[in-house]
Amino acid sequence: MFTKFNTKTKTIFLDPNSTKRYSSIDSKKLNIILSPSLYWIKKIELPLKYAKDAKKLLPSLFEDTLPNGNYSYSVYKEENEFFIFAYEDKLILETLSKFGISLSNVQNVYFAQSEMQNLKGATKINETQSMYIKDGIVILVPSSLIKESVELDVSQLPLSKHKIFLQQYAHIVKNNDLYKLGAVLLLFCILICAEYFITTQKTSQVLKLKDELFVKHKLKPTMMQNISILKKYKITHQKQTKLREYILYALSFKLKKSEKLTKLNLKDKSINTEFSDISKETLSHMKQVLASKKVKFTAIIKDKTLHLEMML
Amino acid sequence: MTRINPLYLGFFLIVLLLFLSFKLNSAKSELATAKIAYKESLKLSKELSNLREVYTKKVNLSSLKFASVVQKRTKTGVILSSKSINAKELNRFMGRVLNGAYNITKLKIKKISTTKVSLYMEIK
Repeated sequence: MFTKFNTKTKTIFLDPNSTKRYSSIDSKKLNIILSPSLYWIKKIELPLKYAKDAKKLLPSLFEDTLPNGNYSYSVYKEENEFFIFAYEDKLILETLSKFGISLSNVQNVYFAQSEMQNLKGATKINETQSMYIKDGIVILVPSSLIKESVELDVSQLPLSKHKIFLQQYAHIVKNNDLYKLGAVLLLFCILICAEYFITTQKTSQVLKLKDELFVKHKLKPTMMQNISILKKYKITHQKQTKLREYILYALSFKLKKSEKLTKLNLKDKSINTEFSDISKETLSHMKQVLASKKVKFTAIIKDKTLHLEMML
Repeated sequence: MTRINPLYLGFFLIVLLLFLSFKLNSAKSELATAKIAYKESLKLSKELSNLREVYTKKVNLSSLKFASVVQKRTKTGVILSSKSINAKELNRFMGRVLNGAYNITKLKIKKISTTKVSLYMEIK
């Protein structure tokens, strides 16, 4: 039967100074709420309507405030105030790793600021620190300064929409650079696709032309057949050309008055001729002519008659 | 995290690019092969249709009409013969035959007197 997977998501509070261990989270999906020690926050008023308009300004708004590092930024607006955040992906990922939490198990990541605005009094988050709201901002204070604090319980906490996405390699390559590279690669892919499409179109056009050629010239379906037929015609053509040449040679020999061409007979592979009363000079002349024309021949004199056979 | 890592997307695009390049190369070589095959077919078809026209067309006997030459059509072609034809007429007749596109399969010319010869010729 079908296996039903447990899809329920657990929410945990991530604090680097916590001694808590998460042992039973193996394959569970987790919502992570980041401790204030894992991010920087500012609450400011800006002459902007939407949070997305403020995104570009975030690095400059944190300028001179943050220690050296590679920061990602986030912002959300509540009423007329903007809550702006700076955080180091690498630091959060290292903290997750420290607690044995795999990134693949993490469903969403939230700031304590957005999730714990309704905190009443102080809440102890580790052995030495407690969380407290001052001027609408969730801050950390030493537990020693707090008279009464309650234990933190986030298991039933309703979560907001203000989540962030951690970048695994944000400290190596900026996302913008990756997107630019991706856009270039995508552009190349599109160009190659277009060229591929054009090439296949050209191929089908050439094949169509070839088919039309076969129909127009009434060719046989395969090239083998056509080559064979062409070969046969070429042999015939070659033979007919040679035949005409050789007859011309036979008729153009310089003969003396007494010497006559008496017979010309075309056989399958040769032309046989007979000349009467042929002298040695004439025979020599004939042999010279035929040799110069590279004609294969045999010449036999029998009863003063020359039997000349020229091979086709 | 439900969001796909951009690096994975980049890797996927590189793999896609390589795959598409491979496909494009194959398509280009197919096009080159098709072009070569077309050129060969074009050359062959021209040669073949020219030769076929010469050697398969029906022999036109009207241009080979001579007083002393008897014409006879057979299943395979035409027989042209003369028991006695003078040298001048033979010369004109042979000029027509040899300069025309005829497939001569048999030819016998034999001198029978000082001015006359006998002739037997088969044309396909």
